Amino acid sequence: MNSKNIENKSIRQAFSESLFALAVKNPNIYVVDIGLRPSLYLDKFAARFKSRFIESGIAESNAAAVAAGLAASGKTVFLTSFACFSPALNWAVIKQSICYNFQNVKIIGSHAGLMSADLGASHQMLEDVALMRSMPGMEVFAPIDAVEMSKVLPVVAHSSGPAYIRLPRPSTPIIFPKNLSFTIGKSHLLTQGQDITVLGYGPILSQLFSDDFKKFSLEIINCSSIKPLDSETILKSIKKTGRCLVIEDHQKNGGLGDAVSNLILSSGLKSKFIHLAVDNSFGQSAKNYFDLYHHFGLSPLAIIGAIKSLLSKK
Amino acid sequence: MILFSAQKSHPLYPLARSLRLDILEMINHAGFGHIGGSLSSVDILISLYNSGLFNFDKDHFILSAGHLCPSLYVVLAQQNKFPRGELLTYSQFDSRLQGHLNLDTPGVEYASGALGQGLSFACGLALGDKSHHTVCLTTDGEHNEGQIWEAIAFANKYHQGNLINIVDCNAYQLGGSTADIMPLDELAAKYIRFGWTVTTIDGHNFFELESALKKAKSSTIYPACIIAKTTIGKGVSFMENKFEYHDVKDLPEDIYLTAKNELQKY
Repeated sequence: MNSKNIENKSIRQAFSESLFALAVKNPNIYVVDIGLRPSLYLDKFAARFKSRFIESGIAESNAAAVAAGLAASGKTVFLTSFACFSPALNWAVIKQSICYNFQNVKIIGSHAGLMSADLGASHQMLEDVALMRSMPGMEVFAPIDAVEMSKVLPVVAHSSGPAYIRLPRPSTPIIFPKNLSFTIGKSHLLTQGQDITVLGYGPILSQLFSDDFKKFSLEIINCSSIKPLDSETILKSIKKTGRCLVIEDHQKNGGLGDAVSNLILSSGLKSKFIHLAVDNSFGQSAKNYFDLYHHFGLSPLAIIGAIKSLLSKK
Repeated sequence: MILFSAQKSHPLYPLARSLRLDILEMINHAGFGHIGGSLSSVDILISLYNSGLFNFDKDHFILSAGHLCPSLYVVLAQQNKFPRGELLTYSQFDSRLQGHLNLDTPGVEYASGALGQGLSFACGLALGDKSHHTVCLTTDGEHNEGQIWEAIAFANKYHQGNLINIVDCNAYQLGGSTADIMPLDELAAKYIRFGWTVTTIDGHNFFELESALKKAKSSTIYPACIIAKTTIGKGVSFMENKFEYHDVKDLPEDIYLTAKNELQKY
């Protein structure tokens, strides 16, 4: 597969389309929006389902608890905002009103990661997976592309209880095989390989599908279900390769790499391990996110460096 | 204003005495509890659950100020939601009656403790169930929280006539008087400016409580606020108007006995 030939589509566009399609069939689907309707492509939803589109304005805390209250009346509620605001500003409200009360609220955190390049550090949410992974009862998902998004949405909507879905801002390559389905707690083997298990979530993984990586025998696993994590598939692969590389557009602290390293140590397996992520820094502005990936050691060049390092380690 | 002697003639008045004694017993037994606000809010809850105006199998009650749970627990026990003897398990390991509200307690619809969230939850619930009333209890100190004002604006926007917020205004919070810590000044005027209908009452007077609840219930377009002026520690002379009795830890025997003696004569 050559990245130049890969089709691009926005994951948040796919979110909006899938949500609309779902809402046509299911009158129980509600949106509580936090003043970002156009940015989440929710104009069509708001126009068609007036009484099911609740606009709280720029008030993340109120919106999270309103969503919980609506859910308590039996609705399936999507709480929509940017990840840097929700679940960031309203974390304690999500903890008490949504999770402690076990309400059926699906938190949509858009514009996550360094991919929101030009917006700068305030908007480049790099801590959301850590915040949501630590929350009792919260499930955490990050689709790799628009195709997977359209498969994640109905599944998550159908499951009861709190969930978080992380979305990036730009259009990103379509990677997800159309014949695969999404199951909570299951990962996807995107390529089979012998030498290195590569784990990650979201479109950052698309970098691995260029010709530069063809010379390596990589087992690339899409961990779009970050919590619950598919420990069985991950450990089975690491048992075979003995080398693990985790890549994420997120802080090292509290990210997928933390979850996986814990998993490996607890299993008793021996594995070489490299975690590529943002290391205790804030992001910054750039014209496109490739420049930021280069700066923070997440670019194809950095990934190849990590692969070579893993292969050379005894 | 109805005279105090007339207030004592209200059929619910004996409950104001017996449930205050229950609050004291459970907090003394646990060696912990927010006694000041429980004694200021208990008459509000007695009226809410016993006036016959609401049926909380269908209508909703949200206690936003979760630390006031002792006053809700005694009322729920009085409503036979669980045995009265269970009150003595309050805040103990494995009890259904936690130190702040959770969903294990029969009759509790919202688990709280972190202030400022319950009114928003009530807004969502009232929006989702328009055929019933949602009643929320907040406190004046809780209005320090910005989220409360987000919810007040929200309820106005959505014309939530089926939403009632009762504010237990005892004028004190953990560290002092609300006037010193963050003055609310004209709270009623603020609610009115935000588009609510407001009634200010004596929150220990069952006649006034009942009539304010009736009026709030009849509002169809405007969310209704009842500002209940109360006294922190009401019924125990040395606890009244003392922020130091916001919460207690291990009541000394003589304090407990004196308080019990006073409440028996309430």
